[in-house]
Amino acid sequence: MLSRIGRLSSAVLAAALVGTAAPALAGGTLTVAQALDPGSWDPIDTFLVDWSKVANNVYDGLIQRGPDMKLVPGLATSWKVSDDGLKIRFELRKGVTFHNGEAFDAEAVKFTFERLLGAEGAKGPQQSNYNAIERIEVIDPYTIDMVLKKPDPVLPTKLAGYGAMIVPPKYVAEKGDAWFNTHPVGTGPFMLDAYEPKVGIKLKANPNFWGGKPKLDGVDFRFIAEPGTEVAELQAGRLDIATLIPLSQIETIKGQQNLDVMSVPGPTVVVLRFNTKNGVTKDENVRKALIMAVDRETIVKEILLGQAKPIVSFQSEVSFGHDPELKPLPFDPAGAKKLLAAAKVAPGTAVQLDIRGNDATFREVAQAVAGYLQGVGLKPTVKPYEVSVLLNDIIPNGKTGEMFHTAWGGWTFDFDNTAYLMYHTGEKWNPYDSDPKLDALLEKQRSITDQAERLKLLREVGAYVANRALELPLYNLNTFVGINKRVKGFVLPGDNRYRFTDVSVD
Amino acid sequence: MTLFLIRRFAQALFVVFAVTLIVSWAVRLSGDPAVMLTQGAGSVTEQDLANIRLALGLDRPFHVQYLGFLKGLFAGDLGNSFMGGTPVTVLIAKALPATLILAVSALLVSIVLAIPLGIRAAVKRGGAEDQVIRIVSLAGLSFPNFWLALMMVLVFSILLKWLPPSGWDGPTSLILPALTAGVINTAANVRLVRTAMLETLSAQYIMVARAKGLAERVVLYKHALRNSAIPLITYVGIQFGGLVAGLVVIERVFNWPGMGSLALDAVSGRDYPVLQGVVTVFAVLIVGVNLAVDIVYGLVDPRIRTE
Amino acid sequence: MRASRFSLRRFLALELVLGGFLLAVMIGGVLASGWLFPDGGEAMDLKARLLPPFVRAAHPLGTDPLGRDVLSRVVTGGWISLTVGFWSVLGAASFGTLVGLVAGYYRGLAETLLMRFADVQLALPFILLAITFAAIVGSSLPLMIVLMIVSQWVQYARVVRGSVLSLREREFVQAARAFGLPDPRILFLHVLPNAFGPVLILMTLNVANNILLESSLTFLGLGVDPLVPSWGGMLADGRTYMQTAWWITVFPGLAIMMTVLGLNLVGDWLRDNLDPTAKVP
Repeated sequence: MLSRIGRLSSAVLAAALVGTAAPALAGGTLTVAQALDPGSWDPIDTFLVDWSKVANNVYDGLIQRGPDMKLVPGLATSWKVSDDGLKIRFELRKGVTFHNGEAFDAEAVKFTFERLLGAEGAKGPQQSNYNAIERIEVIDPYTIDMVLKKPDPVLPTKLAGYGAMIVPPKYVAEKGDAWFNTHPVGTGPFMLDAYEPKVGIKLKANPNFWGGKPKLDGVDFRFIAEPGTEVAELQAGRLDIATLIPLSQIETIKGQQNLDVMSVPGPTVVVLRFNTKNGVTKDENVRKALIMAVDRETIVKEILLGQAKPIVSFQSEVSFGHDPELKPLPFDPAGAKKLLAAAKVAPGTAVQLDIRGNDATFREVAQAVAGYLQGVGLKPTVKPYEVSVLLNDIIPNGKTGEMFHTAWGGWTFDFDNTAYLMYHTGEKWNPYDSDPKLDALLEKQRSITDQAERLKLLREVGAYVANRALELPLYNLNTFVGINKRVKGFVLPGDNRYRFTDVSVD
Repeated sequence: MTLFLIRRFAQALFVVFAVTLIVSWAVRLSGDPAVMLTQGAGSVTEQDLANIRLALGLDRPFHVQYLGFLKGLFAGDLGNSFMGGTPVTVLIAKALPATLILAVSALLVSIVLAIPLGIRAAVKRGGAEDQVIRIVSLAGLSFPNFWLALMMVLVFSILLKWLPPSGWDGPTSLILPALTAGVINTAANVRLVRTAMLETLSAQYIMVARAKGLAERVVLYKHALRNSAIPLITYVGIQFGGLVAGLVVIERVFNWPGMGSLALDAVSGRDYPVLQGVVTVFAVLIVGVNLAVDIVYGLVDPRIRTE
Repeated sequence: MRASRFSLRRFLALELVLGGFLLAVMIGGVLASGWLFPDGGEAMDLKARLLPPFVRAAHPLGTDPLGRDVLSRVVTGGWISLTVGFWSVLGAASFGTLVGLVAGYYRGLAETLLMRFADVQLALPFILLAITFAAIVGSSLPLMIVLMIVSQWVQYARVVRGSVLSLREREFVQAARAFGLPDPRILFLHVLPNAFGPVLILMTLNVANNILLESSLTFLGLGVDPLVPSWGGMLADGRTYMQTAWWITVFPGLAIMMTVLGLNLVGDWLRDNLDPTAKVP
């Protein structure tokens, strides 16, 4: 308490000297706001994008993915997958040290994956993603073999993020997991300076970074959950990058001379899925009518201000499995009415849309969709749920209304993950449907590593789902951030996993 | 008096106990943290979830978990956050001072405004001044706190650029949230002071005091205010709980690193230990203030304690 | 003295007239909304979104981000807000007053039990309680009302008990008891009217407060169907438009303010007439 007061009064002096709202941005520090504090910076503990925004600067994986979503060498200089797809050989980078001075070598890789796949990893959410790996074999200090239980075509991408980040064995062993949670050490371009839970985390440049010393002195991340507050901070010149901004404020930000909005295609795809088991949406023709009733182009243009693209299947254009040939059902209210009449759906029939209550943008979209459904004579209602209730109870337990909001941000940009979880019988996200043909397709593409064949199968899945009208495809939302123009050299990655090595500030 | 105190302390303990029980029970109905933690992960099996529950100690029956929590409570250990494993006491040690500073500042703002305004309104009852005071103070209460907060930010941070819009960067950061929370509570307090003063001013001893020729100032601030204190004290006590809880929204808008933000994150993340900890500390705080109020109450009006 | 009493009388009437007028306009508008705006403020036109006010005759107060008419939404929106305000306060005040009366008058075990229960209630932060329960059973209008009653009856109970504690020692209550009047009669005819002032004040404040609480819950992502207009919901949803389209939040804000002001003016007037001791200024 006392020290806080002490700090307050010195801050008074500082504020009095430089005037109010003194920008803490002097020198080469970049200030970034993000919504959440993941609580732990240990790679095996989290699945939050907000973890990655910070940790992607602290850790490296064997493989890296650049802002263009291409896989490039990271701590491994090269890798080769065996013909049967059950072994990957990695040549490791030499002369790399962790932030604590510890050397990076094959043992670090072995330790990392043994920890991820062992008892410690079992306590966290990451393990399930890497279950295809059986063990790591050390060939020499800078060569390893990753032996797999079964082929996993998406594994190289997964190695470029989250649980596969390489951690320092001695440091973790000496300090313990609890310490490591809040005192992360990696090989990345920035290292921990100070972490204050729920407030922010400060990083400083790693002078020994194997890719060359970063231009910035440090990066200051602040946790701000309310989008309007992030915008206010940006407008007040106290933030360089605001990562959570409401669509409606894009124009406001652009209108301010020193600010701009960066926008790139993102991984998030949004659909309204149907309850195919109960109610009027049990009928495929009714589902098609609902899809035809909604003018998605107008929604994207007017409500999302062009910050999105309409989709046909539950994936973005850059996703592996996207089919440019697949055409959506047209916007055709008259045709929709005919289909509804043919299916004996009386005018005024109630249709409920279950949505995430805290998503301001989607609240508007859902209301617009409801407006279009009114247009074909239905009586829609919108029911907002608290996010975790919707995701953990209402959807998995099949308690939704006729339609429910699903937003998916698969960071691997491979349709496999999404499609399997959404359409395979018995999966958490598929409470209603069971389709043997779809199951077979999904399982088949998982068992092979021939990417051309996989692509064909995944496209088949997309077309099949569209034909059965299992969901009302909406759009692929852009990733956008508000940025102060003093920031130079920043390339916004669509997946929001930043790396500030080449960024500088004026 | 000693007996009175002992009894009140026992009651206070009971309340804290009851609150922790209710919260621990309710939060466990609201969703599974293991599922929360694996949200967005790939194919999560039942076995993965079971592993996580085991690691978090959620496989044990409720009474065991709750007794464990109580045991820890007496040892000053509130467990570790499910998100990252930081001890809850560490999180609270950072958040509590922030919230207290904000709550006390807001309370001060509102009382400092309310007492003179309320007395003035009571004295000038029915006059133009009374009317203006009431309407203005009501205006402060007529908007939702988040709306008022956003307006404050808009005017003072974005347009005028006088004050920082959020965070904790020194006392300038305190001004906007304290003012927002304070102004909202002022209207209620003005009304309360005014009502209480009207009642008191009509009492016989005030007329006597006036007839004795005491200065109006002395009559108002010494005699009348003292006797209007009971409802005011009661209400400030009640208000404190409401205020601290109402700060949840204000803390969020101003990104104030306090208990409200902590609790909100904990609820949405189903972080049981943090929520239990925060609510327990809230309860101790509110019960403590009410206890103090009751004791003061007993001092001001002896009839209450001698039963 | 005579002159001042005269002007005071006139003012009291003005208070009632003004308050009554505001309430009549607001409540009347809400009651007539079904007839004035048969679409319930739900008709949207994405081509006419965010029209400023006073530009088009069809949308005198402009349109919201979905091209819905702000005027019809403000008028229709009163339904939810007034329903929440009215039922939650009625429920909390009746229950709380009863508890307060019994506890303050009889004291003893009843008082201890009820007041401890009240303490528990006060120590549970409302917003967190609301979010937790909304998480368990889903947010809905009845849930919101019930939660408000559950968390607010205590205020009435404590205030009534506080008044009763001093009232029961007063001469007129002692006298009534000495005459052997039955307890319910003493409580409701002698004690209650004298304890009623603070209750009325709390009620008026809480109607307003609960209308605002509804919006806070919407702000935090709870709240009811966003298609059905409510003042709180309009403020919460319009908050990101404050810098670009002020009319979306200003008009529902004004509606709230006028209603609250009307309630308070009438409440004050009622108080003056119900509370006999204040008649001797």
